[in-house]
Amino acid sequence: MDRMACVDLPAFPLQLLIREHPDWKSHPAVVVDHDKPQGVVLWSNDRARQFRILPGMRYATGLSIAGELRAGVISQAVIDSHIESITRALWSLTPGVEPSPEFPGVFWLDAEGLVPLYPSLEEWVTRVRRELETEGFYSNIAVGFTRFGTFAGAKSVRSQKVFARTEDEVSFARSVPIDRLDFAPKLRETLYKLGIRKLGAFLDLPAAGLRRRFGEEAHQLHQLAGGEGWGGLEARAPEVPLVYEVLLDQPEGDSDRLLAHVELHLRSLASLVVKRFELIASVTIDLLLDDGSKRRDELRPAEATLDLAQLLHLVRLRWETVSFPTGVIEIQIEVQSVGGTTRQETLFGTNSGASFDDRPRRDLDAADRALAQVRAQFGDKSVGRVSVEEGHLPEARYDWQPFRKLTDPQPREVAIRPLVRRVHWSPIPLPPRSRHEPDGWMLSKLSDGPVEEVIGPHIVTGGWWVREVSRAYYYVRTRNDRWFWIYHDLVRRRWFVQGEVE
Amino acid sequence: MTAALWVKSNYSFLEGASHPDELVSEAHRLGLSAMALTDRDGVYGIVRAHMKARELGLHLIIGSEVTLFDDSTIILLAESRRGYANLCQLITQGRLRSPKGSSQVRWSEICARAEGLSALWGGGRGLIGREESSVACDRIIDDLRDAFADRLSIAIARHREAGEARRERRLRDRAREYGLPTVAVTEVLYHSPSRRDLQDVLTCVRHGVTLSTAKRRTCSNAEHALLAPFGFERLFVDDPGSIARTKEIAERCQFNLEEIRYRYPAETLPGGVTTEQWLHHLTWKGAEGRYPDGIPDDVRTQVDKELSIIGDLEYDGYFLTMWEIVRYCRESGILCQGRGSAANSAVCYCLGITAIDPVRMGLLFERFLSKERAEPPDIDVDIEHNRREEVIQHVYKKYGRSHAAMVANFIRYRARSAVREVGKVLGIAETTVDRLAKTLSHYHGPAAGSLDIAGLDPESKLHQNLLRLSAEIQDFPRHLSIHPGGFLLGHDPVNELVPIENATMEDRTVIQWDKEDVENLGLFKVDLLGLGALNVVHLSLDLIEEHQGQRFCMATIPHQDEPTYDMIRKGDTVGVFQIESRAQMAMLPRLAPRNYYDLVIEISIVRPGPISGGMVHPYLRRRSGVEEVTYPHPSLKPVLEKTLGIPLFQEQVMQLAIVAADYTPGEADQLRRDMAAWRQAGRIEGHRERLISRMMRKGIAREFAERVFEQIRGFGEYGFPESHAASFALIGYATAWLKCHHPATFLCALLNAQPMGFYSPATLVDDAKRHDVVVRPIDVQRSLWDCSLERVPRSGEGFAVRMGLRYVKGLQETFAQRVVEARPDSGYESIDDLASRARLAESALGRLSEAGALQSLQPERRQALWEAHGTGSGDQASLDLRVCEERAQFGDLTEFESIRWDYESTGHSTRGHPLEALRATLAAQKIPSSVEIHQMPSGRRVRYAGLVICRQRPGTAGGVVFMTLEDETGFVNLIIWERVFATFEIVAKTASFLGVTGKLQSESGVVHLVVEEMWEPDLSKKPETRSRDFH
Repeated sequence: MDRMACVDLPAFPLQLLIREHPDWKSHPAVVVDHDKPQGVVLWSNDRARQFRILPGMRYATGLSIAGELRAGVISQAVIDSHIESITRALWSLTPGVEPSPEFPGVFWLDAEGLVPLYPSLEEWVTRVRRELETEGFYSNIAVGFTRFGTFAGAKSVRSQKVFARTEDEVSFARSVPIDRLDFAPKLRETLYKLGIRKLGAFLDLPAAGLRRRFGEEAHQLHQLAGGEGWGGLEARAPEVPLVYEVLLDQPEGDSDRLLAHVELHLRSLASLVVKRFELIASVTIDLLLDDGSKRRDELRPAEATLDLAQLLHLVRLRWETVSFPTGVIEIQIEVQSVGGTTRQETLFGTNSGASFDDRPRRDLDAADRALAQVRAQFGDKSVGRVSVEEGHLPEARYDWQPFRKLTDPQPREVAIRPLVRRVHWSPIPLPPRSRHEPDGWMLSKLSDGPVEEVIGPHIVTGGWWVREVSRAYYYVRTRNDRWFWIYHDLVRRRWFVQGEVE
Repeated sequence: MTAALWVKSNYSFLEGASHPDELVSEAHRLGLSAMALTDRDGVYGIVRAHMKARELGLHLIIGSEVTLFDDSTIILLAESRRGYANLCQLITQGRLRSPKGSSQVRWSEICARAEGLSALWGGGRGLIGREESSVACDRIIDDLRDAFADRLSIAIARHREAGEARRERRLRDRAREYGLPTVAVTEVLYHSPSRRDLQDVLTCVRHGVTLSTAKRRTCSNAEHALLAPFGFERLFVDDPGSIARTKEIAERCQFNLEEIRYRYPAETLPGGVTTEQWLHHLTWKGAEGRYPDGIPDDVRTQVDKELSIIGDLEYDGYFLTMWEIVRYCRESGILCQGRGSAANSAVCYCLGITAIDPVRMGLLFERFLSKERAEPPDIDVDIEHNRREEVIQHVYKKYGRSHAAMVANFIRYRARSAVREVGKVLGIAETTVDRLAKTLSHYHGPAAGSLDIAGLDPESKLHQNLLRLSAEIQDFPRHLSIHPGGFLLGHDPVNELVPIENATMEDRTVIQWDKEDVENLGLFKVDLLGLGALNVVHLSLDLIEEHQGQRFCMATIPHQDEPTYDMIRKGDTVGVFQIESRAQMAMLPRLAPRNYYDLVIEISIVRPGPISGGMVHPYLRRRSGVEEVTYPHPSLKPVLEKTLGIPLFQEQVMQLAIVAADYTPGEADQLRRDMAAWRQAGRIEGHRERLISRMMRKGIAREFAERVFEQIRGFGEYGFPESHAASFALIGYATAWLKCHHPATFLCALLNAQPMGFYSPATLVDDAKRHDVVVRPIDVQRSLWDCSLERVPRSGEGFAVRMGLRYVKGLQETFAQRVVEARPDSGYESIDDLASRARLAESALGRLSEAGALQSLQPERRQALWEAHGTGSGDQASLDLRVCEERAQFGDLTEFESIRWDYESTGHSTRGHPLEALRATLAAQKIPSSVEIHQMPSGRRVRYAGLVICRQRPGTAGGVVFMTLEDETGFVNLIIWERVFATFEIVAKTASFLGVTGKLQSESGVVHLVVEEMWEPDLSKKPETRSRDFH
């Protein structure tokens, strides 16, 4: 039988919580299912368990026992991201890693054929544990022959265990208390009542009777624990990143020649992407210059594509105004790929068969391509769409949202064109008002003349819980009939122009 | 001088950010000529505002911002009494048709009730100010103009907000179009701009958002405070006409709450008899029944005096109503008893409302009713709790929903709820806020130190805001709830007096004022309160009649029964009403009650008032003859004689003030009210100088005078009136008599009346077993839903208690009833038979098997549980696979495990006490039982282990924690000093089976163990129980 290992990171979410809040180590701390006093404790640390604060208890109950009880929620996203990073870390020690979808913090590792690489399996396990420790996790590991056997082993040993023979694994598994095995709470509770505390006793129950009473899931568990129905290891091999590194013999400062390097290697990467039946969503180019400085360019076409010319055009636009005085000595090109849509593939494959007259007069795709070029040239934040927000301050009444695809405008019809307030990106400070204004209050250019009419104020105050804002807004008309929207900042005691009325 | 016509207090729940009295005080300070309180769809805060306005002499206008079906609002102000009645009825209409917390009226209803009301239309939410509302306004304007004539104005509101000018232009255009005058207003939401932050917080709470996500739900500035006349005039400097209109409207609104004339409902009386005549007739007839050997002269004099006062004050109707309610209870077989100050009235005694003879008891009638105060009397009627709803519905039915409604109770922010809600709004993690909240007492807000304790940074601005706003929001009303039993009844419709709205509870309607408001306006309230102990008495008496053929009632239970008093003196009072607590049980052997009045004292003395006033030990010393009975002044002897010179009752404090400090009865009653309102700091202090100086003038030494004042202040914290104690003592004695002479019956009734009282069913069962009561386990072959009695010829009372199916945790009553109804005379044959006949779900069978209720069908509980799973009625139709199923083998339960299963599945065990099985092990470790502890000499150092059944930390004990441990032989009371508790905090708080080492303290038969160390007994098997903690 092939060798496999099971790694258990006990109370994995709790380990993550303590990583987030290292100062909570000395306090009773728990992971709760949601951030409410009635939130249920899912995991508790040793200090909390000293107070008998146990999983299943409400946070509020725990708090009545230990007033210093700390609690946090660990989201599934956080768990997933750590599972991903641990999986990557384990790839350096095994060719195959299978994270358990049911039990977060449990991983099965391919342990076959490792002995020539390591003096012994024990030594290998020690290395794995050390690697996890560097990542900040405590682990227990069992090496054996079956998935359930190693799982039972990892859940019940402290630190590590290597089973030499299948029989040893089976006999050890039978002695494992069922409370270590993450049985469904209801089933575990009933088994307790029936006096079943160890896996062996559970296996001695009649399978048919178990199925009738506790359902298919319990029956399956019984079968699995008995060694039936396990598939082989479904380990994930490390993903090969779509990266190409180029080391240049001589520092290269000419952007055209650099572009030629990029084209060459981008073509190779594109062929890998094609093999994956995917399209290129973005290209990231990292440059190392001879003076040690670095530059990163991230380019994103309007749509995922395999059109190299389009991608290179974006690179060219980005580098058009850039110089590399000390020269580039290293280029790293990485592409991110995604599955393509049928429409994209069709477009790419046929290159569109419609005649010019059939095309819509507003060619949104063309506009998108144009905007992609703008982004390429001026950066991602150079293109955005305004969204109306509910806020009191003018700057809180709208926001810039990034977007990838243009849609047709749908303007609302209005009877009378309203006045338009052009709001400045950031308010323009006005000089302090003088005590003597012989020509009147001059806002900006002399040609506008002094202020002749003032309407207001309307007052906006708020933000007291973060940063206090207090402004008195006015509309003012200058002699040459320009209307300005100005305010007096009552906190900073200064005047600003917020915008102008058209 | 200007008037604020649109003011909302914090009784516009979660909108207004100032108390009504704060608004009134500020309006007065600013020099406003008048202020209108116009809370949203209600008049909740007007009594408080009225009291303050009366004190300061401010012209208060009563009104409300009324919500319509189109979600717009209109402000209505009462010009006259008629207008006020119309406003109340209009709000009632809107409230009763809407879910709790909302209200909607129609334009037609507003027009129909326009008489006596002034309307301000506009503001922020007025229909007329809406952009696209001209058609809707055109449709209603004629009706509005017809209804209100010149009392309809367009409200121009200015708050210096963006977009306001546009709305104002629209309002002015429409005012011109409709020919309506404009009036200048601001929407006042707080008395001072400093409350703006709190108003933001309240808005967030209302919308369930945080400050950072509130966006435009909060106001854009702090311009919603009361404005001084100068500021108001400057705001509307361009429109003096609208300012003038505010004054004009204010002058027209002359209605004052003083105008309310309340009439108590008159009974329908036989043939032309007046209420007075009818009350006299019933009273004297009742007196003849109470005194069959002739009415004693002193009683006759007292009754005459009371009837005369009642007649002069025209309170006859009120007494007749109480008599009617009590009569209804009697006729319906509902046990009830009047209590409170009514027990001081001979008329109440004769009418059967109370059961205490106040003349014989020497109770103070003035505590109940005085011509000088002319305040309505307060009669509380205790009704057995499970049948109180019948009585409440009877009152609704008899007087009608328009003439009877329950009094409200405002749910207010207290320290913990304040911190929780403010913290949530500030965006602090709820678990963190909860940690802070748990460090606070219920009434005292957080201090800077609280943050440290909760592990929060005191320097953080966020946390400082949390502290500041939590303190500000405290005592704010959050929403309306219902008073436990207070009714307002009126001869005229109640909804002309105050709006009525729906309560959350079905079939309940509630007024918009609470108990204090009702009292402040001098209105009559009827209190119908639920009392579990009366239910126990009723159930016991019914069981005695059913099983023993004897019929007793409260009045025929033998008085002065010596065995009963013997039992009480031993402190053997588990389950006995009012004297069963740990502290009461410890006091009983010392006070050694010998008669009914001793019980009255016993009930009153174990209270925070006498304890913190330092009255307990002097009284006990005098009672035992160790200390001489003296009086500080001869004039006080009549007042203090019955309590040996020590004031123990609230009435005595009042009498002390009357006799020693020459308080008038009215002043004495005010003193009582101020004592009751002890949480409002300063009210009791107001009496200090007056009392002390007056006492000294009468020749009482300053030292004693100050001590008397300290006693009075101590009484502020739950001083107990003698009249209450007297009523409770009657029920207490009845339950003691039942426990003494009918222990099985009493246990059965007590178990069927749960949840109530001080002890868990497990403790009640174990106590009964120690008194030789046979208690039998739950059995599907015999048990009913309730516990029942089974004949046992050789036992003490002749009956055993059979535990009922109600004690199987999680078993629905429907399933239990099916078990009882489907049971054949010969009993069920098997678990299958039970499942199929009673159509039980698998879960129900599982629970029954765990509780041991199937043992007559399958003796092994584990096997029964295995069989129960998969046997539920749901499987009947499917193919039976059990015939070919392998048999599973399970280990038998040990005795200890059986008991533990009992506790887990039923909360008690009839099989034995959890410690019985461990006694040998405990004995081997030289740990004595409770019985042995009680036989040891005082001062001995011992180790003891028992189940924790109660943990208490009374506020009066200076941090001392009291615990009661129990074993199979009885209880052991522990005293744990604060320091010791802190040292062993974890085990003290968490262990259910606790070991302690300490010194015995024994005095007058009362044994306490003063704890020095606490530990967890080292046993392989630990019992699982739950204690009743920290009451």
